[in-house]
Amino acid sequence: MPILEARSLSKRFRRPDKKSGFNGALKHLVQRKYKNFTAVDSIDLEIDAGESVAYVGPNGAGKSTTVKLLTGILKPSEGTVRVMGRDPHTERIANAHDIGVLFGQRTQLWWDLPVEESLKLLKHMYRVPEAEYRLRIERFDELLGLGEFMPALARTLSLGQRMRADLACALIHAPKMVYLDEPTIGLDISVKDRLRAFLRQLVDDGTTLLLTSHDLADIEEVCDRIVILDEGSIAYDGPISELKARYITTKAVHLILDGPADLDALREKFPEYEWAAGQAASEAVATYETVRSTTAEVLGHLTARLAPRDLSLSEPDIEDVIRRLYAGELAK
Amino acid sequence: MGVDARHTATVYGRSLWAHFRSVVEYPADFWVMATTGIFWQIMSFGFVTILFQNVNAVGGWGYHEMLMLVGFLAVAAGSPALYWDGIWSIADQVADGGMDYRITRPAPVMPQIATLHIGLQGVGEVPLGAAMFVYGWIGAGVGLGQIPVALLLFACAAVIQVAMYTIANSANFWVKGRVPVFGFFLVEMQNEAMRFPLPVFPMAVRVLLTFAIPLAFASFVPVEILNGRASEWWLLGPPLTAALLAALAVWIFRAGLRSYDSAGH
Repeated sequence: MPILEARSLSKRFRRPDKKSGFNGALKHLVQRKYKNFTAVDSIDLEIDAGESVAYVGPNGAGKSTTVKLLTGILKPSEGTVRVMGRDPHTERIANAHDIGVLFGQRTQLWWDLPVEESLKLLKHMYRVPEAEYRLRIERFDELLGLGEFMPALARTLSLGQRMRADLACALIHAPKMVYLDEPTIGLDISVKDRLRAFLRQLVDDGTTLLLTSHDLADIEEVCDRIVILDEGSIAYDGPISELKARYITTKAVHLILDGPADLDALREKFPEYEWAAGQAASEAVATYETVRSTTAEVLGHLTARLAPRDLSLSEPDIEDVIRRLYAGELAK
Repeated sequence: MGVDARHTATVYGRSLWAHFRSVVEYPADFWVMATTGIFWQIMSFGFVTILFQNVNAVGGWGYHEMLMLVGFLAVAAGSPALYWDGIWSIADQVADGGMDYRITRPAPVMPQIATLHIGLQGVGEVPLGAAMFVYGWIGAGVGLGQIPVALLLFACAAVIQVAMYTIANSANFWVKGRVPVFGFFLVEMQNEAMRFPLPVFPMAVRVLLTFAIPLAFASFVPVEILNGRASEWWLLGPPLTAALLAALAVWIFRAGLRSYDSAGH
């Protein structure tokens, strides 16, 4: 049975319909006009217990709005949401015990209090027994290095420290379902790595995770399933491996030749490949379709005829696939 | 699982206490704010005293009765800064989406917001206001037997103030913007109008301040009861007003939360 179920979920907002500039503002003051804007458009989503789902899309695609609908912050305009059988909007308090939420752009720490005080307040709010609280704090310290800034006031933390503390806040009550909206935004590489390893561990321990991120490394390292949102609707929903298999249909061989690469001659000699210049003058890149030739065939063919000094293989990464999906270059 | 009153009280109390400990760790902030409150009440005392060097009565009220009124108002209107000041952050919380986290926690949102900070000016305002009230009480010859009634009236006034601040600030769920205009309007009106006995105003203003925006029940009516100017039936007014306004504040705040659409879609 799914831990989370959304059916025909939609959210519309009313926005002022006015022209720009002072005149537009003045006219709107006396003649108020609004238009509806659909942020989320009839989404169906099911997440099973223990799944780690990446929820991605371009800016304004409706990712954050979906998270707010799923967490009960917003009331759907249409459709239903059930999280562990409950409506998160009308059964807000009961639902809150089972979910953890992190919005990367905002903190839930009490701004004027030490991190430790914020965590203790949440401990009481979630009724976490003292022994469990201590165990979790020890674990967060071990995995997130929380101890070094526990006595510091929230407003004095660096972004990386703040994010680690916020993650501890979201997980202090061991929620079954965790929503992370851009958890690595603005962080440096070492902190990102630390957070990703922590999240992977969380998933391995059985926590269900919904992650939105623009950083595709977050997605590949933490999640097994990807849901791609575009203009409020789901464009793709499936395993990341299947996304790659479905849309990554080309591979490229990078050949380092003895002399400068003559692309015109190569195109004439090997018209079955698409040729491009590499980074060095002697590098030529041959792209081939994996449905027409196997890698072994291509390598055998090119090495026998060109005798390159060196070669390597590459394939488009998931970021490229998603970029092309957004741009409408790939069939959804 | 609905709202658990005991759990809510625990959450409220712990949050308030944590903030109080935090603010007293900054002695400069503490003393500046506390001194501001003290200064404000010295000004009020000075105003009433100078006024009565020129007149014998205001709206039929003598010097000591006026001190009771100004002192009562200072305690009733100033004390919420110590336990409900965070309610002034509704505008900010709505504008920047800060409500989001509060909604996803297993506790009512209103006490979470109300304890977001403490207004230390209350530390100065409340004791000085109480001192003025007691001085006026003694001078006006109000008997000690009225102490229980006074405590009840202070409690009702505190609830009325908290409810009015909550209602006025909740307007920012709909009136988007970081400035709590309705809250400021309420405080300004109270500071300007309620420092005087209602009889100095025309009937329309008296009706407005008693029944439409019932600020009178948080200062004027209680003092009128205590100094025997109002019949005993008026004693029902403050508790009823407090109960009605508290219910209205909860209802309006909840309606605001329902219409909350966060920030950044």
